[in-house]
Amino acid sequence: MKKVSLLSLPLIGFCLLIVFLYKGLFSDPRALESQINNRPVPEFTLPDLLNTDITYTPEVFKNKVTILNVWGVWCITCAIELPYLTHLKESENVRFVGLYFDQDLDPDFGEKSLPQIQREVKTMLTKYGNPYEFNIFDIARETALDLGITGAPEHFLIDKSGVVRLHHIGDINERVWKNKIEPVYQTLLQEPERRLGRE
Amino acid sequence: MSNRITVLSILLLALAFVTDAYAAKDRYEFDDPAQREAFLKLTAELRCPMCQNQNIADSDAMIAQDMRRKVFRLLQEGKSEEEVISYMKSRYGDFIYYQPPVTMGTIWLWLLPIAFAVIAVVVLIVRKQQQRTDSDAEKLAKAERILEQDKS
Repeated sequence: MKKVSLLSLPLIGFCLLIVFLYKGLFSDPRALESQINNRPVPEFTLPDLLNTDITYTPEVFKNKVTILNVWGVWCITCAIELPYLTHLKESENVRFVGLYFDQDLDPDFGEKSLPQIQREVKTMLTKYGNPYEFNIFDIARETALDLGITGAPEHFLIDKSGVVRLHHIGDINERVWKNKIEPVYQTLLQEPERRLGRE
Repeated sequence: MSNRITVLSILLLALAFVTDAYAAKDRYEFDDPAQREAFLKLTAELRCPMCQNQNIADSDAMIAQDMRRKVFRLLQEGKSEEEVISYMKSRYGDFIYYQPPVTMGTIWLWLLPIAFAVIAVVVLIVRKQQQRTDSDAEKLAKAERILEQDKS
């Protein structure tokens, strides 16, 4: 009896290893647990992209469910998702706010001028559709870092109290919207606004 | 032939300087050598969230560039290395730092190998003892048999 249990030990170990490795086949090494989930949008004071006289703070997320879309004209996937985002805005009245940052506009050695960026943005939005209520210009890419972004496009689903409830890395297409984002979006629409003190 | 070897060795030697040239591209100026040390250490130990398996010193991704700049700024503000690491962790999670924290989930990384070694030693000792008693019993049986033969 003792001999049998001792012999089966390596077999049990082997089976456990197989299960572990098999699970590894389907895990996504790029899937990171976002730290921003269930935390309020970080503090910022940033200008509007197209009219720098206007300044925004996290107050803009109060009272409305918003999808904050991190994007740039240099980002190809962003261009691809623009028509679908525009469709969502028109058909379901989803509120999109852009967090725009430019790659060439190096905070240390600025290369591209602001009028040039604005021209490029306008051209792109006319060509592919404009889902945005407005665009926040993250000049030094500080807010992007505070949000914990890894690239573009990325989306943050923000509830009526200005708290991030879902961080989606990558584009929004019909499949992503139906399976991942819309269910959360619909529940957030039902939620009342909570009063909470900012940290 | 020897010419070719010379060229090859020069090329190999040049390779050794590539990483240095790479790291120098940001051209940060440090207040003191200790700060420079800290910057080089941190950028080597922080992991790029975009190009996984590269540290931020090595990666050319925009986010790595931004993180390097942030590390530099934070150090200039007088933040300690731990403060910089926790700043990054609060934004990107434990993933961002190459040294994993000891938690209930990760403790097994250290415990499992030790447990494995302990079990192996125990198994070895038990088997050795079994062998000894076995051979003793065998010898006894043999002696008995010889005795039996003598009797008959």
